[in-house]
Amino acid sequence: MRAETPRPGKLSMRGISKRFGAVRALIDVDLDVRAGEVVAIVGDNGAGKSTLIKVLAGVHPADSGTILFDDAPVTIDDPTDARDLGIATVFQDLALCDNLDVVSNLWLGRELRKGGGLDEVEMEQRSWALMRELSAKIPSVRTPVAELSGGQRQTVAVARSLIGDPSIVILDEPTAALGISQTAEVLNLIERLRERGLGVILISHSIADVQAVADRIVVLRLGRNNGDFRVADVSSETIIAAITGATDVRRRPLRTGTDR
Amino acid sequence: MNGRLFRSSLTAGRSGIKARHHRPIRGKRLLPAKLCRVAARHPTPGSQTSLREANRARVIDSLKRHGHLTQVELAGATGLSPATVSNIVKELSTSGVLATSTTSRSGRRAVEVTLARRPGLVAGMHFSSRHLRVAVADVDRTIVAENHVPLALDHRHDRELDRATLLLADMCESLDAELSDLLAVGMAVPAPIDVRTGMVSTPGLLRGWEGVPVAEALSERVQLPVFVDSEANLGGLAEARSGAARGAAGAVYLHVGHTISAALLVGGTPFPGVSGKAGQIGHVTIDENGPICRCGSRGCLDTLAGGPALLELFRDDPGMQRVRDLLLRAESGDASARRVIADAGRHIGIAAASLTNLIDPDLIVVGGELATAGEILLSPMRHALDRSALAGADGVPDIVQGALGERAELHGCLALAVDSVDVGLGVLTP
Repeated sequence: MRAETPRPGKLSMRGISKRFGAVRALIDVDLDVRAGEVVAIVGDNGAGKSTLIKVLAGVHPADSGTILFDDAPVTIDDPTDARDLGIATVFQDLALCDNLDVVSNLWLGRELRKGGGLDEVEMEQRSWALMRELSAKIPSVRTPVAELSGGQRQTVAVARSLIGDPSIVILDEPTAALGISQTAEVLNLIERLRERGLGVILISHSIADVQAVADRIVVLRLGRNNGDFRVADVSSETIIAAITGATDVRRRPLRTGTDR
Repeated sequence: MNGRLFRSSLTAGRSGIKARHHRPIRGKRLLPAKLCRVAARHPTPGSQTSLREANRARVIDSLKRHGHLTQVELAGATGLSPATVSNIVKELSTSGVLATSTTSRSGRRAVEVTLARRPGLVAGMHFSSRHLRVAVADVDRTIVAENHVPLALDHRHDRELDRATLLLADMCESLDAELSDLLAVGMAVPAPIDVRTGMVSTPGLLRGWEGVPVAEALSERVQLPVFVDSEANLGGLAEARSGAARGAAGAVYLHVGHTISAALLVGGTPFPGVSGKAGQIGHVTIDENGPICRCGSRGCLDTLAGGPALLELFRDDPGMQRVRDLLLRAESGDASARRVIADAGRHIGIAAASLTNLIDPDLIVVGGELATAGEILLSPMRHALDRSALAGADGVPDIVQGALGERAELHGCLALAVDSVDVGLGVLTP
């Protein structure tokens, strides 16, 4: 058990709207993430979950609304801006190179150099250190990624996002299409990120997984906020009601659904 | 590529050892307890011998997590040098702890290492309020595979039993075994179990698991004999067999975490009561007019000192969502976190005093997640016990922290499974 000093950091999105032609993908959406907090975004297909994190990752700039980092407004126009602010994203397809080994994948594009060549020894050592810190079940960092299981690949993708020492990590459906052992691995990994003092934004369709690891659950419905719950206060029925629109919450009720 | 692999993992290994001096136990949950045990056995902690023991523990620990590894992979995973790993493997396979076989990796000959096991495996499953821990062990109760999953608050029996079954099958596969190779499964749930019906004894205590014959439901899924008991009873069983309560004639095991419950250990065996409810100290009334409890009563110990009640006091603090957050905060010296844990200790101490007056134990062992707070929790408990319990010739019972930590319940599950196997083979009669 160890407590690293939580890094200062609170990311707030206020009144974010985004249009694709005639489609209003996001309408006046708010989202907050603090350091050491796991926030899950849940919602039906097309609710705007992915669009929202793409705004944060710099893939699609928002049409209107503000993003505040430690209460100071920032602009995120492209992925480089997001990376410079310490926001790392792990997309659903992971974007790993199957033919390269774990070390090469982790350092791809930011290889360490020594003299005229690459500093393989240093990169391998730091990869091992990172893998151990994440308690990753990877037998060797010289294994090609193609030989790893789904959960191990997810771990590598998350580890790669940590190389730049981010303060916020966004995980898009990290447990979709994984077996139970791999899901367990990813859920444990999320707990470890939280203990490291990182803010985690998690998109998932599995309510049980979300309830297991998240601190707060933000529900999106048809591009709008439809609830912001503390996990300790809310039952899965209430969350599903908010996702499906059985309960319609227009403004942000911070503490609804106290059912204990 | 192979040459580079060897050279660089050699350097990685060396620096791993150097780094150990600075931060020896980062990220390894198992290691601190092991180091403590090593330190207790050896008069000189930090000596060569204790370092060697710790290295051995690292190797075994990695094998438990990965199932099987080659020596080179083992060096990478533990951070030890290949030479050290080779020596440890040689030593431990001579003494029968590890088994080695020849295999190949990337076209080169390699030595694959696994934990040696006796024929016959059992499994343990501990469903706690927020976690599922699963272990597979041989009949000597040496754990050969272990896994852990966070669970949702108020988890439901059907989904979790399905997932636990899949997880257990996966773990067997990593050991080159099948689910049907297991002899029995021992299981712990965070509620009392009525031995007559096999269901949760009291409504309200574990909402997602009510009205289900728990052992039968799992048995249908895994097609194996399943034995179930409450987490307190099994934690107590483990502490009585191989932990802090070993040799005590009468002891109480207190499980303090998300919920509070106790096992009454008479001669090393938990006393179940008629319907399994014995020891539910979490539902002893402390304040007649207190908050309403999920059991339907008011002012129960759980509503004052259970995990959710403690966290409720920090409602406006977003960083305080789990018992673990509270523990980390207290460990880093936060005064309010310490005070809240101490107050919980005082309440638990009052309940423990009534229990002491009723059943007269010679020892109280405290386990569960909150027990890792150590003296912050225990010393107010002692104080409360001193004030309210009847003192005998040798004072009131000792209060000590459990020796098996948060895994006591899991060890208890394994013990339950192994016991049943012995009974089945007619080797041992209870």
